[in-house]
Amino acid sequence: MDFMKLCREAIEAAAKSGAEEAEALVMNRHTAGVEIERAEIKTCSDFTDAGIGVRTIKDKKIGFAYTNMLTSEEVKKTARKAVKACDAGRVDKNWRQLPETKDYPLVRGTFDRRISEVTSDETVLLCQRMMAAAHEIDKRVLPAFGGVKVLVQGVVCVNTSGVEVEDKGTALVCVLETMAKSETQVSPVCYEIEASRKYEPDPEWVGREAGRLAIESTNVGKAEAGKFPVLLDPFALQLMLTYTLVQSVRGDIVFRGRSVFKDKIGKKVAGENINIYDDGTLAGGLQSGKTDMEGVPTQKTPIIQDGILQGFFYDNYWARLEGKESTGNAGRGGGGLSLPPYGTTPSIRPTNVVLEAGKANENELIREVGNGYYVRSVQGAHQSNPETGEFSVALAPAWRIENGEITKAVKGVMITGNAYDMIKNISLLGKETRQIQTLIAPKVVVSELNVVTK
Amino acid sequence: MKETFTSVLGKLRKLGASYGEIRAQKNNNTFVTVRDGQVEAITLATETGAAIRVLAENAWGFSTTNSLEQPSLEKSANSALKMAKVAGKSVKETVRLASAKAVEDAVKVPVKKDPREIPIATKTKNLLKINKTCFNFDKRIKSVTTNYADLATEQTLATTDGIFIEQEKMFVWNYCWVTGKSSGIMASARDETGAHGYELFDLEPPEKIAERVSKKVTQQLEARSPKSGLHPAIIGTDIVGVLAHEALGHICEADLALSGSAVMGKTGEKIASEKVTIYDSALIPQGFGAIKYDDEGVPGQKTLLVQNGILVGFMHNRETAGKMNAAPTGNARAQDFRFPPLIRMRNTCFAKGDYTFEELLEDIEFGYFLEAFRGGEANLDGTFTVGVQSAFEIVKGELGQPVRNAGISGNTLETLKQVDACGKDFGLEAGRCGKGQDMFASSGGPSIRVKGILIGGA
Repeated sequence: MDFMKLCREAIEAAAKSGAEEAEALVMNRHTAGVEIERAEIKTCSDFTDAGIGVRTIKDKKIGFAYTNMLTSEEVKKTARKAVKACDAGRVDKNWRQLPETKDYPLVRGTFDRRISEVTSDETVLLCQRMMAAAHEIDKRVLPAFGGVKVLVQGVVCVNTSGVEVEDKGTALVCVLETMAKSETQVSPVCYEIEASRKYEPDPEWVGREAGRLAIESTNVGKAEAGKFPVLLDPFALQLMLTYTLVQSVRGDIVFRGRSVFKDKIGKKVAGENINIYDDGTLAGGLQSGKTDMEGVPTQKTPIIQDGILQGFFYDNYWARLEGKESTGNAGRGGGGLSLPPYGTTPSIRPTNVVLEAGKANENELIREVGNGYYVRSVQGAHQSNPETGEFSVALAPAWRIENGEITKAVKGVMITGNAYDMIKNISLLGKETRQIQTLIAPKVVVSELNVVTK
Repeated sequence: MKETFTSVLGKLRKLGASYGEIRAQKNNNTFVTVRDGQVEAITLATETGAAIRVLAENAWGFSTTNSLEQPSLEKSANSALKMAKVAGKSVKETVRLASAKAVEDAVKVPVKKDPREIPIATKTKNLLKINKTCFNFDKRIKSVTTNYADLATEQTLATTDGIFIEQEKMFVWNYCWVTGKSSGIMASARDETGAHGYELFDLEPPEKIAERVSKKVTQQLEARSPKSGLHPAIIGTDIVGVLAHEALGHICEADLALSGSAVMGKTGEKIASEKVTIYDSALIPQGFGAIKYDDEGVPGQKTLLVQNGILVGFMHNRETAGKMNAAPTGNARAQDFRFPPLIRMRNTCFAKGDYTFEELLEDIEFGYFLEAFRGGEANLDGTFTVGVQSAFEIVKGELGQPVRNAGISGNTLETLKQVDACGKDFGLEAGRCGKGQDMFASSGGPSIRVKGILIGGA
């Protein structure tokens, strides 16, 4: 199907119905893969979801409509519906204009033909290898959930300001969620994931790691309450920062007075060892691509340099409102109801947020903690308060660090603190990073967090 | 449509499917966001699609299509069958679906006001009213976001065992996030409401929503952090449901129980104090999880999970019911045609007791009254967390200072044994639950008292 042509038809139909500006975005996602349930490959799926979202502007009123019926007739109908939505709306004095056409960066490592050719039989095989590796660690490991998934997606964006852009991407994901039981203990659900834009799966590594975590979580010792240094894994860090720091550097949140970082550009907001940037052009990044979801080129945007706040990320609307340039951070979809990407107007999203690595190896990180905790992942991070940074989360799984060594697992333990204080108190950063969803980070040692026990 | 579906399903049978299911939908959705008094893009959507699920050789195949024409359905059905056979090559366990009655029915949602018949201007006006009332409530209110959605679905479900159900689904949902600021302190509160028809705004007028959420924000601006540690607490009617949902509900979903959740193998055992009775019901008409049939065609019902402290049941779909020799409970639900049905909660509640609120308070020397929540999460080992948005200290049997940003955590099997009294009040909260898909559900119950729960303060 010629999505570019459909988009052009949509904006023409919108213009004919009285829209002054119009934009059409087609998102086409093909998903195939297998799912595990209780150590068996139970479901295999293969399907495509494609749709078009049309945004129209008339008298500074914004309308939007979407459909998944991609015929010329339905698309035109959808465009007219968007104009109808304009008519029902209110004037937005802050509206300036849609993005204009610009050069796109060359972004490498986001599409691999090999992934688009993976068959269902291959995903079954990868999945079997992953489960077998988990079993080899220990027979008590139950691969409870997980699977292997292939994603191939395409996006086309066309608007009346001359934007005509097309991008495509692939990803292969192997994920395994495990549990293990000892005579007295049940582990929490532990998981390992490998997500890559290229075809380079290592299902045995995923299986072994997920198995090891579950087994090591069943060897439970006593936890101690109080103030302790804590080693945070990128999994824990991703959850704790996504609902706090990452929200507070969004241009709209700052503009609306909901960010602690308002009026802090050029000021010290983190330790001198902290460098954070957002980079949608990163080769092979899980969130990389040449365009954002409204046709603006992606870029590298500094957020914090040597502890000093540098800037925020923007989409077209909020950037123009502040007289700035969009940083290519328009995303789509979600919105609290899991809508498909073509089903919502743009909003500001991070791409790949990078917390730069330090120099410490694994042993140095653990020794730095001395007596404290190692936290692989946390539960309840989405309940954090983004405005104040306050969090209180349960640890699952986590281990004691005693005399510079990881010892027993702990259960029923919470840590509480403030994310904005936490970034001022990172005493050591690991030298290896990995990407968990939108965050690329090393393991870090926080010099003090409040540990709460029963 | 019936003839087409019957023909596609018949062919599936002939090609070796032991079960097949077509769930076709036509959706009409409206979304409006009002941000600080500014109406953002009004969104109108029309979607159509079908989900096809096939069981063959003890494994499932799943496929979807955007077209309801016979050739597309057949192509999709064949793909699902092929997928099932691919997955089935390695399966050792036999799948036996619990039987379901070959029901033929047409179901309308009994709403007073169909959201499709309400002008967009009215919807927008109500949201602007919420925004305005919030800002007028207190000058410390700095930011208000209101997200509104109405989703109307016409669904047709047909299965190879003779089920053919045309069922309407309707949801009207409103979510506010309000932020306040006073001398450097920032605080926020959320408010979520839902009903099946636009009568939502008659039951919950915009002014009432605005005042309720604004009051929570200003209260928090004057609040202090709680003392971390194990404390007695009264869990109020607006938050007790989240405890039922997170602490017990998820681990009683049979798919999670079978995977080794903390309650597996404990049927008939005492897992909570005798004051605790918890059920999940599709039959509370005003509940956001009220359904006549689930997405496998099983009638919705009231399912007892814990009765006077004893674990008595699980929530099932046809597959887990078959595996555990139980009857399906009507809990198989799918977000839309892009997803297969999973075991999901409907309206999950603690049963009422006979204490007045004052009686619950009077025995507490020092503790907390937890009033409203921010969200919750559960782990299969029984660890749950609930973010508490507003709370009060209890000092010598009386409500004291407001407290903000408390979080509670515990393990189901320990915490439910700590419940020593249930109130005679009752609340039901509409919300969403994420389990790979988003689902509307309600949860509720009376105010309950726990002797000790782990409170984490910032």
